[in-house]
This record gives sequence, structure tokens and C-alpha cells, in this order.
Amino acid sequence: MPVSNATAWGQLPDGRPLHRWTLRNARDAQIDITDLGGTLLSWQAPDRQGRVGDILLGHADAQQYLASTAYMGAIVGRWANRIRGGRFSVDGIDYRVDRNDGGNHLHGGHDGFHLQRWDVEPEGDALLLRLVSPEGDGGFPGEVRVTLRVQLEDDGSLDLRYEAESDAPTPLSLTAHPYFNLNDRRPDIRDHVIRIDADEFLAIDAGAIPVGRQHVAGTAFDFREPAPIGSRLHWPDPQLQLVGGFDHCYIPHARPSEAGRVVAVVSEPSSGRRLTVRTDRPGLQFYSGQKLAGQPGRHGDAYGPFAGFALEAQAFPDQVNGSEAEGAILRPGVIWRQHTRYTVDTD
Amino acid sequence: MAPHRIALLFNANKVYDRQVIAGIGHYLNSTRVEWDLFMEEDFRSRMRDIHDFQGDGVIADFDDPDAPDALRDLHIPVVAVGGSYHDASAYPAGVPYIATDNARLVRLAYDHLIEQGLTRFAFYGIPPSPGSRWAQEREHAFEAIVREESIDGVVYEGSPTSAGGWGHAVEELITWLAELPKPIGIIAVTDARARQLLQACVMGGFAVPEQIAIVGIDNDPMAQLLTRIPLTSVIQGAEEMGRTAAHLLHQMLRGVDCSNSRILVPPVGINVQVSSRFQPMRSPHVMRASHYIRQYGCLGIKTEQVADYVGVSRTVLEEHFKRELKQTVHQVILKHKLDTACDLIANSDVPLADIALRCGFTSLQYMYAVFRREYDCTPRQYLDLHRKTTT
Repeated sequence: MPVSNATAWGQLPDGRPLHRWTLRNARDAQIDITDLGGTLLSWQAPDRQGRVGDILLGHADAQQYLASTAYMGAIVGRWANRIRGGRFSVDGIDYRVDRNDGGNHLHGGHDGFHLQRWDVEPEGDALLLRLVSPEGDGGFPGEVRVTLRVQLEDDGSLDLRYEAESDAPTPLSLTAHPYFNLNDRRPDIRDHVIRIDADEFLAIDAGAIPVGRQHVAGTAFDFREPAPIGSRLHWPDPQLQLVGGFDHCYIPHARPSEAGRVVAVVSEPSSGRRLTVRTDRPGLQFYSGQKLAGQPGRHGDAYGPFAGFALEAQAFPDQVNGSEAEGAILRPGVIWRQHTRYTVDTD
Repeated sequence: MAPHRIALLFNANKVYDRQVIAGIGHYLNSTRVEWDLFMEEDFRSRMRDIHDFQGDGVIADFDDPDAPDALRDLHIPVVAVGGSYHDASAYPAGVPYIATDNARLVRLAYDHLIEQGLTRFAFYGIPPSPGSRWAQEREHAFEAIVREESIDGVVYEGSPTSAGGWGHAVEELITWLAELPKPIGIIAVTDARARQLLQACVMGGFAVPEQIAIVGIDNDPMAQLLTRIPLTSVIQGAEEMGRTAAHLLHQMLRGVDCSNSRILVPPVGINVQVSSRFQPMRSPHVMRASHYIRQYGCLGIKTEQVADYVGVSRTVLEEHFKRELKQTVHQVILKHKLDTACDLIANSDVPLADIALRCGFTSLQYMYAVFRREYDCTPRQYLDLHRKTTT
């Protein structure tokens, strides 16, 4: 169905107006999106009974999004996840980028893509979101031009296709950062059952920077068979204790391909809703939402810990400082592409 | 190094215990852990003999009332598996305990019935006995929910199941069901109990789910086989419990102290079937007719027989169907046959010709014709698309 017209949705500190659009499909699903950070504000999806409810966490208004520390629902860039010490080098040139996470860089820095006003234009059933990130943005080299095509399909899929170009070599990793809770009647995701199709994940240090690949077998991280999130949090595992739950990057075992491999499936028994994540990215960050306590909700309330979870398709954290650094660099003349799909249906 | 010798003390005659053991097996297969597993040949545990066991560790069913005493002075690591308790002091001290979360099981069943639009609820349990404290915990969980939500909830424990007392027990059950206000949703403490309820509903002439909607716990394929009306059931996280127990024992064998671990595993799903698909209906004729079609729809029945069962004329029945369902009786019977056929095609290995007969089509050719008309494809094409590969 065609995208709705833009409606006013608050303003930036400098007075520029912000807007909201609504995507609908033929099966009662509806997604609200804003030009502030390309943020997904809400996703109304039917449950097993056909009753529609919001499956995303969200704040109340633009001011709360501007002040948020949760990257709530936003598009994150230039670099999704962390860079150790905010330092890296490309072609022998050293760069220092914003350090906004205990001495490390996180999610694009102080004024990342999530706080920018994107240019938004409806194109039939889809929305096109465009952003120009100037040379030196957050400390990163090169001017980067990003286009994101967002579409809600009749099978319940939110389809995200990114394209980016740069006029100088720069690290680039973009991701969507929605927090899901498939049961809109219970503000806790620990009864959700998750499957992640990955044999390995990246073990981290106390600063949440990867220190090496680890096989999931015999650990709390083995979700190759579906398991409830909540009971796994109680397995004795130093990797869980480091960050109070799951906040780790998985390495899905299927080869990345345009066909869009399935990397994770989450089901919620009470509502019957099911989320399937497909992506061509090499990494999938699974965050169980343990630090969401105190984040403002939509109705003057505050979320508790484990109110939502995130599955972020992206490059590996700190990849620019590892052996696979070149794979995370966008060079001039190349079009960078990413395709990620979140599908919500019922059992 | 010789593999660790581990005893699994379970009475693996129920689907739940078998799934726990399967979970232990999955864990071992996923790792390079080699355990020399000891189980009794008949999969029955004999707790009292365990002191003669020359081994390194035990995973035991602590729903067995003999387990805590029998395993107390064993000087090897023990991991307990059992039901959760609302009173923390009911857990055995000093033993890691992996529990099925009884409160969450009942909550899931209750929430499901609420979602169906029901407003009255009952619980069918079992009388207290030392080996089934979990059943009392589920009953307690139900009472806690109805207290918290200030609604009326009826609890009936019935009689212990015995061959001699069976006839009497069913009569009492029918009497209880007759006295309940309707429509009502009943949570059965197990699928075995839910099956008895379904039986009593058929014998007492109560329409399921229109008058009585039923949810069981266990998702036991055996209970499904023995009921004419498919049973909705909560799926316990039993495999995950087995994986968790194996992981804790694995850690303990490496010297990690897990004695204070208590891990509650929530249900992993609910298999929604006809027994709980409550839709408020106004016409008692349609309700009774639907009940009859669900039971006998695949046995070649015609509109006349349905009308006879309901006790009205064909014309009256058709009028009620038209008003309430916007369909003829024949269409509803055909839909039931098609639904059953599609389910068999997708979820069994039964040949198409047999499916046609089982679903009450007079011939395979007729089933082909109906499929082409209704689904614009042949049963063979439907099979190619939907039949799950059996591995």
C-alpha cells in the first residue's frame, strides 16, 4: 500500500521540523518511521488471534529520542558497534574518532547517524531515506552518501536495502537498531525462544571489545537449537557475567549471499508471533536488553531490564583493527550494499 | 582419560522425562564430552540402589520423592531436575536444581484462554500425592492467577486414576462439568488429564470448544492419538532442561561450584489445536452441529445426519448456518475434510489414496477434483510444497 503523507513530529534543537511516515501492508501491519535517525517508531503486527499490537520499544517524543542513550529503533552509522580506543588506520594513515563508550568508539560517536535528520521521500510502497555524512563526521574520513530503501511487505517483512558511496577510503558498517518485544502484553523478553544459526561468536573483554572467535558448543551461547533467553542468562559463563547478559556478535555459519540467509528466528509462545532475521552481513549482534532499565517508554513510563532485545546485522565489532580490516573499508568508486530483512508472522 | 561415568535417574515412561534425556543427549552430541551413561534397562530409576554406583556424577529426577534422601550422602556431583516451587524452602539444599517453571506453564495456558475471549476458568488437577508435588504447584499457580486478577476460578482434583474406579470417576467428572457455568476454559494439569476431560465432554454432550475450551500441558503425542478432537497443549522446555542439567554437571566435573544454581526454564511454546479455538457463537444449533462435524466429519456424514443429531430440520439448520457462518452445512463438512487432508498431507507419511479415504472422500479422483476447485492445485502439488521431510 502507498506510504502515508508526512505528518509533523517535533523538531530539532535548531528548530528544523521533523516528520513521521506510516507504512502499511495488506495484513493489518503498520510501521511508523521518522526522519530523525531513520528511526522505526513503532511496528504494529497481528498476533495469533489477529489482534494488532506494537512489537517495538519506543520513546514518547522527539525530545526523548534526541536525549536517548539506547539508539532506540535508529539507523546506526558510520560504524555500528565498537572500535577499540577510537583508533584505526587506513592505508597507513592513523585516525581518531569519537570515544563515547568508556574510551572506545560506539555507534558513530556523539552525533552519529541516529541523531541526523535524513531526507525522506516516498517511492510507491517504499520510503527512500538519504543522508550525506560529511568529511570528518565523528572523526571519520571521506564524504559518505547513504541511501536506505525501507519497505513493509505483505508477508510481514520489513525490507531494508542500503547503498553507500564514499569519496575517500573509510570504515563503514550500518545497522538498524530496533528493540523487539513480540509480546506487547508483558514488558519482559526472557520467555522469548531464540534460535541463532551460528557455530561461533566473538568473545569479548571487559570493554566489550572482541578478543577472539569462540565455538558455541557446550556454552550458554549455543542457540543452534531454539532455547528460552531467560534461563540461559543463569548458565555459569564468564562471558555473560562481563556484560550482564548477551551483548555479543555471532558469526552466522551460512555464507553471506544476496539470497538472504536466515540468521536468527525468535518466537514468543503467548502471542504466537515469530521474528525471522535474514541478512547478507557477516556479523549478528545479539543484545538481550539488560541495560534498558530507566529508558523512557511511550507513555511516561520507564522500561525495566530485559524489556526488549536487539538483533543487529553488521560488520564485526572493531573489525577495522583486526585481520579482516580491509573487508570493512569502503573505497571510492565502489557501491557498498547491504540487505537485511526482519519478517514478523505467527505460528 | 577414561570417560566420566554418569547415572541418569529418570522414569522415562513419560514424554517429559524422555525429552529431558534427549536434551542431555543433544548437549553431549554438540560437544566433545564423552560420558559413559548408566540407565536402567527398563528406563525406570531405582534410587535406593544408587549407593552401589561406581561413578562420577548423577542427573536425577527430583520429582521422585525418594531422590533427595537417596542422593544426600553421595560424594559425587548431583544435578537435580524437577518442578519449580513457589516456596523457595521447598527446594533441596546444596544441589543445583533445573526446574520446569510451573507458574509460567499455567500462565501461558491461562493467557491463551484469555486471548480466545473466555472470561470463566477452571483447573482440573490431580489429588495430592508425594510423587506429584508439581501438580499441586500448578494448581497453586492457577489459584494465584485468579486471586491476582480477581476472577472466579474453580479447581477440581477428581480422583486418582485407577482401572476399578474409572467408570465412577468419569461420572463424577461429567457431573462437575455439568455444574460449571459455560462457556468456560479449563486448564488440565497434564495432557493425560486433558484427555479424560475431552472424553467426559463427548460422553456428557458438552461441545468442545464452544462450551468447554481445554488446554493441557506436555504436548504429548499419545494424548493426541487418543482424542477425536485435537488437543491444545503447552510445550514444556524439557529438552532445554536436559541441556542445562548436562552443562551444569559438565562444569561440576571440572571443579566449578554450581551448588547454588537454580535455573527455571519457561515453556517453549503452545500447540494450538481445536480444543481451545473458542469463538463465541450465538446459535446452539450451530454449536452442536459443529461439535458433531468435528467428531464425525471424515466418516462420510451428510447434512441430514447433522440435522438429526441436532434435532432440527435441514432447513432450520441451514438457516442458522447461513446466518452465523455464511456457509452451508455441506461447505462446513467439506472444509473439515479438506483441513484434515491438508494436515495429513503436510504432517504424515500417509499415501494420498489413503488420505482420501480417511478424510471421507469417496475416491482419490474426487479429492483431486475438490483440491483443484478449492485450492487451484492438486493434492500432489500441495504435498510437494508442504510435506515436511522426515529425517
